[in-house]
Amino acid sequence: MGILTISKWELKRTGLSFSKKTLVLSTALIFLIAIISFSVSQHGLHINDNIYKVVVTDPVLVPIIQTDDKFVVYPAKEAEARRMFEQGGFDLLIIGTNLYHHNSEKSISAMDALDKAINKYDEARLLSYNDLNNTFPVWITVKNIARQQLFQPLSIEKLPEIGSVSEKTATSTPAIEKTIAPVDEKTQVPSISEVTELKKGSRSTINEQALATPSHFNPPIPFKSVVLSFIFIFPIYFIAQFFSSSIMEERVKRKGELLLVSPVKPYEIVLGKFLPYLLITLVLVAVIAVNIGGSMWIVLMLLPVALIFLSTAFTGAIIARSFKELTFVLIFLSVFLSGYIFLPAMFANIHAISIISPITLVVKLLENETVSVSEYLFSTTPLYLVSLLIFMFGIFIYREEDLFTQKPIRSKLLDSVQEFINRMPIPVFFLSIALLPLVFSLQLMLIVLLFNVPIRLGILVFILLAAFIEEVVKSAGIYTVFSRKIYPATAANALKFGILSGAGFFAGEKLLLLLVIASIAGSAFGSVMGIGLLIYPLLLHVTSATVASLSLKRTGNYLLSVIFATVIHAAYNLYLVRGVIFG
Amino acid sequence: MIIAKKEMGSLLQEKTLVLAIIVQLLIASFSSLLVIGLASFFDPSALDKYGDQRANVGIVGEGELKQFIEKSHVKPYYYGDISSALSDFNKNKIDAVVVIPPQGSESTEIIRLVIYLPKSDIKGTFVTLQLKKPLEEYEAFVRDVRSPRIGFEPVRLYIDSIPKKTSTYFEFIYGILIPLLVFTPVFISGGLIIDMFTEEFERKTMDLLLVSPMSFMEILDGKMFTAVIIVPMQVFLWLALVSLNGVVVYNIGIILLLASVIAVIVVVIGAAVAVKYRERAISQYIYSLILILLFLVGYLFADSPFNMVTRLSSGAAGIETLVYSEAYAALSLPLYVYLKRIQIS
Repeated sequence: MGILTISKWELKRTGLSFSKKTLVLSTALIFLIAIISFSVSQHGLHINDNIYKVVVTDPVLVPIIQTDDKFVVYPAKEAEARRMFEQGGFDLLIIGTNLYHHNSEKSISAMDALDKAINKYDEARLLSYNDLNNTFPVWITVKNIARQQLFQPLSIEKLPEIGSVSEKTATSTPAIEKTIAPVDEKTQVPSISEVTELKKGSRSTINEQALATPSHFNPPIPFKSVVLSFIFIFPIYFIAQFFSSSIMEERVKRKGELLLVSPVKPYEIVLGKFLPYLLITLVLVAVIAVNIGGSMWIVLMLLPVALIFLSTAFTGAIIARSFKELTFVLIFLSVFLSGYIFLPAMFANIHAISIISPITLVVKLLENETVSVSEYLFSTTPLYLVSLLIFMFGIFIYREEDLFTQKPIRSKLLDSVQEFINRMPIPVFFLSIALLPLVFSLQLMLIVLLFNVPIRLGILVFILLAAFIEEVVKSAGIYTVFSRKIYPATAANALKFGILSGAGFFAGEKLLLLLVIASIAGSAFGSVMGIGLLIYPLLLHVTSATVASLSLKRTGNYLLSVIFATVIHAAYNLYLVRGVIFG
Repeated sequence: MIIAKKEMGSLLQEKTLVLAIIVQLLIASFSSLLVIGLASFFDPSALDKYGDQRANVGIVGEGELKQFIEKSHVKPYYYGDISSALSDFNKNKIDAVVVIPPQGSESTEIIRLVIYLPKSDIKGTFVTLQLKKPLEEYEAFVRDVRSPRIGFEPVRLYIDSIPKKTSTYFEFIYGILIPLLVFTPVFISGGLIIDMFTEEFERKTMDLLLVSPMSFMEILDGKMFTAVIIVPMQVFLWLALVSLNGVVVYNIGIILLLASVIAVIVVVIGAAVAVKYRERAISQYIYSLILILLFLVGYLFADSPFNMVTRLSSGAAGIETLVYSEAYAALSLPLYVYLKRIQIS
């Protein structure tokens, strides 16, 4: 009951601050943005306009090359043209039909662009003949067939087996014969209008049709759907902004104090404030989904995204000391989160790894494909858990001493960890488990980031960073215990907490593994993430956590201790995948 | 000046600038990652990741296309019928099946190829890219045979030496990355000025400041000066960093000037919004909308600040662009007058 009342208050408060004039202004702005986006999508973006300078002797070429905005073309007599090319900063020289270039990167890039521009010009001319058989004689029908995907050459079988314990997930089954399921079985006959449509598309649109000429035979990147799905981020982002502003405003104006002394529990206050924002976000998302012709399932796909933005906005507003700090914390978090959810989506249809982002699922829905329950669980579970976690730690410090004081961020984070420790039995053990989703998400992010780096270097960097993240999390509790003097810093205690934290992390890891048996289980990245053997990881986690714990007791330096532990951790993992890196 | 010093102090103390720089680093790395990732898909030789790897492609049927495929990077395997080829395809032995129809270049009919690809698989992308080149060559070949029938003459240019280097990232670096690095600090400063004001309003410290001998306009100018001055500093840092990575940036001085001019415009807009609305949530919201609008408008014109930075940094334009900087500077004047007017009312 308390929750709902607070929701009502919150709605009234934010509703009031939105005067009619503001509403009109913001609608007008949104309307203008829509008009301009439309005109941008019609005329294409003006990027790289006039960056290349070309000098030609044959004036016939001038209008042809100038069909592309990237070029500035000057006609000149041969001798003068040569002089301009040598001294005047021109990138290309065309004498008659002979093309000359400098050996600079810009000149070569200009040549590539020129090649594309001329091809486009020719195709446009061919199209005007209205005679398909003689102008576009080759057509390709693409049939995509689902088959068992192998992670060659990095399948786990190539890794040396250590010990005899091997998990079920590690044995990657050889390709199972799947029934052939051709998609788009219709054999189309291309019509002129269809081709015109195809060719008209601006240079940035990537053709997604199953029927194409060779120049439109491209990988199936769902560019349009990714751009469309980007629209959803705006309401989510803006509402999260409002949520954090509301929380921060209360802290600044010290309005929430009365509520805090009332019998309502902090989590009820927070939930009450948060619910209206969540509902508004979901409604806006649903409205957009209807308008761009998507299904209502999109709302479900974006629920975890809305949650993670709102939860980080909330906790950001709690830990920031001023508006400026809040802005930066929020920009940082939203850039990071946008990266996490959009980067993988760009690779939708290209690689299975893209499924870690719910946006990929939205893209799939927009492409009229189906999304399975296991895909949904795989891509959303980490987000659900992480937002829950962030909310929880935010609520822990939703109390007077943290809300209305100017503590630095670090000390507030420690406060919330300390609060966790005070409330839980065997705290360090459960803290490791609780923080695991965060680790998991960060590591997934790392995989995505490192996917483009050469594979060996990628794995090496991944091992180091992944180990570092895990060690930071495992020793966070121990650090809090010692620095806040909850328990005396004795060797026995250090040993005890090290073992507890390591064991907790191990338990959590295996639990999570059961929840999401990843499609990455077969890749080398997966085996580093601890999807592999059983006893050794336990020993490893305990040992490295104990090392961190003992060195914390000794030196009191957090970073140094974590680095010690990371070295041990990474060394073990390196040994595990040595076959891939050095073999 | 006192205000400017105070604001600078609090920026440094809260380590917000450090965070700002991390944010910009993230934006830069995300966008380069995206483009390098996509570019390497479209042009695998650029990354040399698959340099020596050849896609295995099953070929069914006879035709002129065969000779183009044999010349290309693709490794062909020949099959008598579709079903045996598809069975090998499903066993992951080959990654694509190309079915060649009986029609040739001399016929008048359209040549309809069928290509089977693995769905949602990186191999499919890889094989598509390797097949694209022979297919385009084949199309050009058939066109050469057929287009004289309709009297079409393509534009042809000849070069003596084909360069070995490729330039996959040139347009991205100068067209997107550098403008982004130059203008992110500008956008952040606009948000910053809003926070500086709304915080004073909401904490009610503005009243205290007004009691001091300073006028409101002086306070305003001090804060705006801080927000503007940090822009060229950050931009310079970025351009220096980019240069260290081996990218040559021309006209750094003019770019810094242009960035500062745009920063003045954006910061004045931010200040006007903050002074008018006095509440952080609404001000930031309106500011973000205006920013999106400006960003989009910037891509509508060939002489927008974004393109100016592209041309300046790549060396395609030089000192003559100072005219544009002046024009933009002139734009900020009416805004500043407007700001004064809201403050008075």
